[in-house]
Amino acid sequence: MSVFEPDIVAFVCNWCSYGGADSAGGLKLAYPANVRLVRVMCSGRIDPEHVATAFREGADGVMVMGCHPGDCHYRNGNHKALRRFRLFERMLVQMGIAPERFALEWVAAGEGKKFQEVTTAMTERVRPLGPLAIHGNVASKEVSRG
Amino acid sequence: MSEGTVLFLCRCGTNVADFVDLEAVKAWADKGGLLDRVCIHDFLCAPAGKAFVEETLKETGSRRAVMAACSPKLHQKTFEECAGAAGLNPAQVSMANIREQCAWVTPDKGEATIKTQQLIQAALERSRLHRDLAPQRMECNTDFVVIGGGIAGIEAALQAAEAGRKVTLFEKDISLGGEMIKVEELAPSAECSPCLLAPRLSQVREHANITVVTGAEVTDVIGFFGNFTVTARKKARYVTDDCIGCEACFEPCPVEVQSDFHLGLGKRKAIRNLFPGSVPAAAAIDPQACLRLKGEECTACVDNCPFMALDFEQKDEIVEVHCGAVVVAVGAEVHVPADLPRLSLDGKSDVFTYAEFERLTCSNGPTQAALVKRDGTAPERIAVLHCAGSLCPDGLDYCSGVCCVNAFMVGETVRKQLPEAIVTNIHDRLNLPGLETEAFLRKQLEEGTRKIECHALDKVRVQPQPGGEIRIAIPGQDDLTVDMVVLSTGFVAGARARELSVLLNVEQDSRGFLKSDHPILNKTGSVIDGVSLAGSCLQPSHGSQSITMAQSAVGRALSRLVPGRTIELETMVSRIDPARCSACRMCAATCPYKAIGIDPASGRSLVNEAVCRGCGTCAATCPSGAITAVHFTDEQLIAEVKGVLHERV
Repeated sequence: MSVFEPDIVAFVCNWCSYGGADSAGGLKLAYPANVRLVRVMCSGRIDPEHVATAFREGADGVMVMGCHPGDCHYRNGNHKALRRFRLFERMLVQMGIAPERFALEWVAAGEGKKFQEVTTAMTERVRPLGPLAIHGNVASKEVSRG
Repeated sequence: MSEGTVLFLCRCGTNVADFVDLEAVKAWADKGGLLDRVCIHDFLCAPAGKAFVEETLKETGSRRAVMAACSPKLHQKTFEECAGAAGLNPAQVSMANIREQCAWVTPDKGEATIKTQQLIQAALERSRLHRDLAPQRMECNTDFVVIGGGIAGIEAALQAAEAGRKVTLFEKDISLGGEMIKVEELAPSAECSPCLLAPRLSQVREHANITVVTGAEVTDVIGFFGNFTVTARKKARYVTDDCIGCEACFEPCPVEVQSDFHLGLGKRKAIRNLFPGSVPAAAAIDPQACLRLKGEECTACVDNCPFMALDFEQKDEIVEVHCGAVVVAVGAEVHVPADLPRLSLDGKSDVFTYAEFERLTCSNGPTQAALVKRDGTAPERIAVLHCAGSLCPDGLDYCSGVCCVNAFMVGETVRKQLPEAIVTNIHDRLNLPGLETEAFLRKQLEEGTRKIECHALDKVRVQPQPGGEIRIAIPGQDDLTVDMVVLSTGFVAGARARELSVLLNVEQDSRGFLKSDHPILNKTGSVIDGVSLAGSCLQPSHGSQSITMAQSAVGRALSRLVPGRTIELETMVSRIDPARCSACRMCAATCPYKAIGIDPASGRSLVNEAVCRGCGTCAATCPSGAITAVHFTDEQLIAEVKGVLHERV
């Protein structure tokens, strides 16, 4: 029987975390192919709705990555992401999604090693949880959207 | 032009080809014939590759191209150009980063091939929703605004004006001059400070390109490099431009108050200037002190003015200036450690900060340069305490870097007028950078300055005695008795740096000083393009350093703000649908650039696209879904999410 491999969507900001992934690439630091990136200009652009949609579309885990606090290319978009997603983490439970399936991380453009570590850790954390079977709010939203 | 897409797969030599089965990817992509063409090339970024892209797109007449290659940070622009040559809009050129995000980090070729397909699927699905973006350029304003009229601001204004730029120089006080005008001689060269400054002050006053606005507090800055609007409140002076600064009104004015210019060590009248040769020359009335402005009957100044230059009806004015670059040179503040009892900086004993000592020895000071104690007699024994309130747990945790050389200047200054006086510097480690300072220190010691080394300066106690003497208790050493103490204090960023950091969106460092864009590569640039920093607002600086920084700050702006040249505007901005907007203003509160105003016609929020930098935070904040982040729309992001979750096939 094959091992379950989770699909993990990582929303990354253009300036820091996308650069962190590029650094990991440049240094040939392997990380699980489970993690696939979606680029936004700033982590402040990421709406909890996007994360919920990723879960609904089949992601077993979702990451949001931005610049370290104080280093945001747009001053403080990452602080806004932090506020938003701290709250969102608490809502996940109500949606029937284990909070371990979500992670917020700060990765700088030079931190290829950290990018490798956090994406590997996330994959290992989600793998034992198995595939996400959604119930509750997220699924019903899909119905309401028609 | 067809609505279709060409998919280019780049082998990148062996970089991708060895780790991803591109033939399999091509076969997968060709399936169903959904794409206009799928091609594999060895090096898309090489001249032959770029020509291949251009020719292929011309041949197929496709509207879109997806480049499965390296990071867009490397070659997005490259491919936008060669695809642009075939008539494609830059927004229709997308990249799937299959090298950095896949080939180089996925050892298993099978896994890498599947991930490559998923990344391409995401780019394909997203790109179908791309709308053309029209690159917008605008002519830039090449004028300058300089905030702060100290030596750094003065130098910046002169440099820009010499290049033919219009400069508006805002100063919060009633005259230019800053800190340097309050000093008699500069350490270590003992050059006459006012003599260095005075010609520059007249140059500023005379320069046709420079407008000096004093009594001005900058209240708002909006815009971006090449297009700023700076607003300032110019306080009423109650004296018109007819005033030539003859000072005939000073003597008759019946009100005397403490002088800030003299750091409280002297008095001034309610109508005054700062110093002889103030720029502007016109006097100014302090409304807090003036009897007439407080509603009392007084015509002393009016009666004595030969130019009828008094105007009690003057009101504060709002001044608005458009410019392309802003130079911030608001200086720092002297740290006054009055809260440390061990230093006895009580304003009653003969314990002074170095800044106060300078006032007492400056010809434009309260004593016309006669160094005297509070009782009017000359001191005979002076102690200089280094690092007062600095590098200690209850004070500043940093070395200001400019105080040690000043501290040794005390002996030089004192001996010029009191050759018999004994000056003793109490110090720990010395910070005396530069080629000249060591020789300067040797000279001071040869000429009579004594020094006591103490490794616990924060345990030294300054103890004023009844009768005026001051005993200094130094751990492990004999007490020192003197009749004047000069505290060599550091510098703090001050409230003005904080206010400007908010107005300009410029960061402060952990100590409150304004933060460089980069401490090595771009010291005098700020994180906001078009806003430069100079002088002590960046770090405590000597005059020479401030001048160099001002020249650097202006030089960099000049090299990029060229008359006639246009600058490219951000195309990935946010747009608000007025039909869905409820004007709740959450977007405005979240915008880091103050780019969201109100549309007077609809009463709804409106993005100033020239100011918007395209972070998209407002779009995620809007509770009504009224905001679209152009090129990063919800639909585009969701399409990409679906793509990366594409089933393994």
